[in-house]
Amino acid sequence: MSAVFFTLSRGGLIVAARHPAGALIMRCAQTAAAAAPATQPRLKKFQVYRWDPDTPGDKPRMQTFEVDLNSCGPMVLDALIKIKNEIDPTLTFRRSCREGICGSCAMNINGGNTLACLNRIDTNTSKAAKIYPLPHMYVVKDLVPDMSNFYAQYKSIEPYLKKKDESKQGKEQYLQSVEDRQKLDGLYECILCACCSTSCPSYWWNGDKYLGPAVLMQAYRWMIDSRDDFTEERLSKLQDPFSLYRCHTIMNCTQTCPKGLNPGKAIAEIKKMMTTYKEKRSSAV
Amino acid sequence: MATLVRLTSICRRGVKPLLFRNSLLVRPVVAQKKEPDSILSAQIHSTAPQYEVGSGSKAASRHWTGERALSVVLLGLLPAAYLYPGPVVDYSLAATLTLHGHWGLGQVVTDYVHGDMKVKVANTSLLLLSAVTFAGLCYFNYHDVGICKAVAMLWNI
Repeated sequence: MSAVFFTLSRGGLIVAARHPAGALIMRCAQTAAAAAPATQPRLKKFQVYRWDPDTPGDKPRMQTFEVDLNSCGPMVLDALIKIKNEIDPTLTFRRSCREGICGSCAMNINGGNTLACLNRIDTNTSKAAKIYPLPHMYVVKDLVPDMSNFYAQYKSIEPYLKKKDESKQGKEQYLQSVEDRQKLDGLYECILCACCSTSCPSYWWNGDKYLGPAVLMQAYRWMIDSRDDFTEERLSKLQDPFSLYRCHTIMNCTQTCPKGLNPGKAIAEIKKMMTTYKEKRSSAV
Repeated sequence: MATLVRLTSICRRGVKPLLFRNSLLVRPVVAQKKEPDSILSAQIHSTAPQYEVGSGSKAASRHWTGERALSVVLLGLLPAAYLYPGPVVDYSLAATLTLHGHWGLGQVVTDYVHGDMKVKVANTSLLLLSAVTFAGLCYFNYHDVGICKAVAMLWNI
């Protein structure tokens, strides 16, 4: 118990951490620090985009909230939940898993598209954190963008296994070599949060016709799947100036991806495949 | 009293709008394909494709390959112009530079010019610009010192 009191002073924290029961003491110390009224509150400003479609004539505006980081979780999503719980229950945003696997909380934080749950709050309290919805998307309310076009585009690439011969369907597994399976690494992890597509200037200007990095990477994922029989058809569906060729290798997609994937490379691979696929088919026959 | 008012408004509009609220998702800005039998498609912001999807022609990928090939040729032509200046390189440069610029600006037009009429006007004026550029460069090659010599003279100043 004396150790807990000891760790209340900042200098003692490191000493206590070396103790065999260090982890427990650390946790006690954190709760103690949060509860202690003596600690200086670390007030961080959050400027959040607000727009309410239900209020007639409402214009989009930035609303500033102050959150004490001492009583808040480390991520931006924690701060947003805290604001919604304690300050303004009308603040609207999507979130679900709070651990970067559902892709719901994609938003523009301090100028970059990312998942709020994977983005640490900048502890520099002199600078306000700015939070906007995903750029160049229709806004449904506050931080909620309309994803219908994005999902429709995803649907258009037929993101599922397609076989020419379906007589064996459901009878046995379609096996794959270890090497063929490895080709899918770095592609299947995509959670379709749309951070990459909405960071792409080409997608901003031509989002209706250009498929965008997220969808193109999934198109590539099915093209190179050794079990899929429709590679040529998938490629020939991209034979127009817009679906694929609006990509100008800007690479915002790869830079922003909160999962560390590389859609830019996948698109480049598609462009390479586009030049050769007819020859592949004739050699196969 | 306020709850009563809210309740009556729910009754008037029915429960369905509360559940789906399609009206929130529909924006008039983007033209929508009308499919009355599907509720979902009514709220999707996607324009019907104005181009042939999966036409079977390889025009788009051939254009891309052409652009890459031209870039490689241009990369080779620049040292060639330095090492072997002459009319052959002059006219090749005139042709490749013009085509390179024409295709590059064509991408800019496709990116930023929207609307059928505007695209037609932009593409026609681009074609005119490229034609005049090519003619001008050929004229310069024929009647004057030629591109290679001109660049060399620029460096001598």
